Amino acid sequence: MTDTPAAVDATLRALLADILGLGEARAAALTADSGLFGELPEFDSMAVATVLTEMEDRLGIIIDDDEIDGEIFETYGNLLAFSLRKVTD
Amino acid sequence: MGEHILRIEPAGAPRATVLIVPPLFEEANRTRRTLVLAMRALAAKGFAAVMPDLPGQNESLVPLEDVDLAGWQAALAEVAAGVDGPLLVASVRGGCLIDHRVRAAGWWRLAAVGGSSLLRTLLRARVSADREAGVTSSLESLSETAKTEPLLLAGNRLSPAMIAQLGAAEVQPVEPLRSVSLGAEGIAGTPLWLRAEPGEDAGMAEAIAADIADCSAACGVS
Repeated sequence: MTDTPAAVDATLRALLADILGLGEARAAALTADSGLFGELPEFDSMAVATVLTEMEDRLGIIIDDDEIDGEIFETYGNLLAFSLRKVTD
Repeated sequence: MGEHILRIEPAGAPRATVLIVPPLFEEANRTRRTLVLAMRALAAKGFAAVMPDLPGQNESLVPLEDVDLAGWQAALAEVAAGVDGPLLVASVRGGCLIDHRVRAAGWWRLAAVGGSSLLRTLLRARVSADREAGVTSSLESLSETAKTEPLLLAGNRLSPAMIAQLGAAEVQPVEPLRSVSLGAEGIAGTPLWLRAEPGEDAGMAEAIAADIADCSAACGVS
């Protein structure tokens, strides 16, 4: 299954590692409270756009504009919760 | 067409020439360093490697707003026509959308991507930047605007023709072709074209050069 919570979590960490150049250790160390947009300097508007498109490709979901608000990118926990909601929709 | 062409020659007469077609827009900047390292590695294997500036990109004097994918396809075909001896095309990501009009002995494509996915990311970057600036836009509103006027997307001023062509662009069949992706079965490395801060990967460059050389032999080029 690619949409178990553990699989979604792993996919999301790998995707952030690829896009933000975090390296495996930093990506593995992300917690629910880890700040993303506004916290990580690499996380600019282009990176947000890339993350959304890669989430669609790798999780097999479609994300509409109006589903996205700033809160989703505030923390890793928020982004994971959004992804889990989308894959089980 | 008078665009710069980066050319790296082997020590002796080249076995063949490899035309490198980089990814499009920002993805080209993120991968350029590694692709040039791959060109050097190809030269060490006896190939000449060329990477032309596409009109409107890098050192080109042509305004980006004046070009579209059809123009880039024609420009690459023109560069290829000027190459003596056997030619192999090596394209990465969005570069695979513009390499099929070239006359070549073989094609190698890495992580080919459809144009709609690239366009979606560019439009989203604009929506995200607009939101930070307190402006409300959406993929739909931007797509509507793009039908009649140029749009500034992630620093690229793209014409209605370019946006329409990009949104519809699919990788076209070519023969003979080796299509590779990242991972255990393909090229060992990370998707540098996605990376927010440009990086480089010498090991990946070596793997790219080795696979292109292998593809060249398999295609009977040299």
